[in-house]
Amino acid sequence: MGSVLAASSPAPAVNPAGGGAHGAGLGSFPPGFGMPSLSPVSPPSGQAAEDADNPLQNPGTYEECHRKCKEVYPMQMEGVRLVVNKGLSNHFQVNHTVNLSTIAESGYRFGATYVGTKQIGPAESFPVIVGDMDNTGSLNSQIIHQLTSALRTKIAIQTQQQKFVNWQCDLEYRGVDFTSAVTLGNPDILVGSGILVAHYLQSITPALALGGELVYHQRPGEEGAVTSLIGRYTGENYVATLTLGGAGAHATYYHKANEQLQLGVEFEANMKMQETTTSVGYQVDLQKANLLFKGTVDSNWMVGATLEKKLLPLPLTLALGAFLNQRKHKFQCGFSVTIG
Amino acid sequence: MGSVLALSSGAANGTWPFSPDTPPSRWDTHPAHWDRPPRWERRDGRLPNPGSFHSLHRSCKDVFPQQIEGVKMTVNKTLSSFFKASHTFHLSAVSPSYYRFHTEHLQDDQYSKDKDAPALIGEMDSSGSLNAHSLIHLTEGVRARAVFQSQQSQFVTWQFETEYRGSDFTAAVTVANPDVLRESVILVAHFLQSVSSGLVLGGELVYHRGRAEEGGILTLAGQYSRPNWVATLNAGKGGAHASYYHRANKQIQVGVEFEASTRTQETTASFGYRMELPEANMVFRGMVNSRCIIGGVLEKRLTPLPATLIMGAFVNHRGDKLQVGLGVNVG
Repeated sequence: MGSVLAASSPAPAVNPAGGGAHGAGLGSFPPGFGMPSLSPVSPPSGQAAEDADNPLQNPGTYEECHRKCKEVYPMQMEGVRLVVNKGLSNHFQVNHTVNLSTIAESGYRFGATYVGTKQIGPAESFPVIVGDMDNTGSLNSQIIHQLTSALRTKIAIQTQQQKFVNWQCDLEYRGVDFTSAVTLGNPDILVGSGILVAHYLQSITPALALGGELVYHQRPGEEGAVTSLIGRYTGENYVATLTLGGAGAHATYYHKANEQLQLGVEFEANMKMQETTTSVGYQVDLQKANLLFKGTVDSNWMVGATLEKKLLPLPLTLALGAFLNQRKHKFQCGFSVTIG
Repeated sequence: MGSVLALSSGAANGTWPFSPDTPPSRWDTHPAHWDRPPRWERRDGRLPNPGSFHSLHRSCKDVFPQQIEGVKMTVNKTLSSFFKASHTFHLSAVSPSYYRFHTEHLQDDQYSKDKDAPALIGEMDSSGSLNAHSLIHLTEGVRARAVFQSQQSQFVTWQFETEYRGSDFTAAVTVANPDVLRESVILVAHFLQSVSSGLVLGGELVYHRGRAEEGGILTLAGQYSRPNWVATLNAGKGGAHASYYHRANKQIQVGVEFEASTRTQETTASFGYRMELPEANMVFRGMVNSRCIIGGVLEKRLTPLPATLIMGAFVNHRGDKLQVGLGVNVG
């Protein structure tokens, strides 16, 4: 569901230590388009005069509608991982990842991030160039640049050793109360294939945003299109999103109970595979103990949890995680250490 | 090599000469703390008792990390001054997950020199496997031990041991798996003698008898200990086992082990170290092997909680296999 190419959520390798700003002045990571802030329903009195000429805000991007709920869920961890982040300057950051894996290949990955000098907001600077390379030679790279105050473009390339797997170009226009984006994925002139994705998201009221997505793909001999509609309602401390389309349905609900507890419920129905999944996830954030705990329960009989602890005064973060699939009796556990 | 009945010396190290399967290594970190000998202490000028044969290589083996896998949670409860129970939950990727209940009962005993030597230990698995040890002090120098191990409903081990500790020697006889119906038995005799203040010499005779075959293996053992290091050697027709333990300072202990077996025609050399940081409440054990196995286990006490966190990983570079384990001990 959603964008076929997941344009603004880069391959997991690129994500340096799970997002969050590292180093001063480097902007928001992972390089996406910023999070839409929870815009509460503006009270009719008091701010009415101020918002008279601009009652609606930009709704954010299409991909980020489900993001807030998805961030509550823990990531599956396996094996041992060591991540070292080094900020070389205000604009440049590198990271080394050594991954010893129980089920896949172990490897070393080197990543670099460059943030340019064109400052748009307090936390966003452009252009952003992110790249990382595997010990087998697989490359992931993204370039994001703000062309004008409303127009942003992104180019992403992904290779598997020497073969190009993904190459896409993306253009996004942010209006006053709407966002539209066009993505061209894997265009291949020689073969005559490609994927074209168009997104549109409009703020109807300060709390409600509606939009749609059209995915058109062409290959020699066949072509097809899938459309889906999205609706997002933002309350004072909750966000409910629903996506309906030819490929299925996806509904998420995110609730922030208090400063420490956040909940997410997700329902996904897939028409092609004829199956549905419901999952509940929660996140407990104990700032005073420097502890972050995420847990999830699934309708596929899967239970999982992740614990992240900052070991102050060292700049170390220890993460432990375990996932158990009761039905298949499969168990996975892993831990990771992040330095810097 | 080593004692046939390496049951009381912690995890099985795959040296079971007579049965085709390796013994079930379910006693992961069983302490068997009644085998700890005071080695380099002189009492009134007499030679000290050398301890039992199983614990000759113990100080070196304690340095090496135990292979851990999956997630294990252990809750220890002390119910009274002589009764302890513990519950263990183990979730594993490679073996079936289980719950295990373990209980220890001490004997109130005027003969037991070490006050907290348990007299009865029982352990039951969620699959029905039983593990039971009982230790009785018959007189001041004579101890008798019985061990029963069952894998679900089938008994795997049943053995009886009698040990006599004299002033400067130890003699023990063990009868293992006596089976009248199959006419098979394994008899083991141990003898250790303190020759001088640091030197202990001894031997082990293993006699096994089945319906179709019988045989005996003699192994000689020697151990030399100084206040900071211990060197041990077992040599015989079945192979050799040499170990060296060195205590560098209060925090670092190092162990080197060499094992050769004539039956499997293999040799293994391992190097292990143990680092203790009491101020950080941390113990780290690492090891490197000639089988290209590298492992490390970190144990940290999470004060003020009465909990210990254990994290470990073992990598077999030859087969490119990794095993990761996490554990929490509460209480």
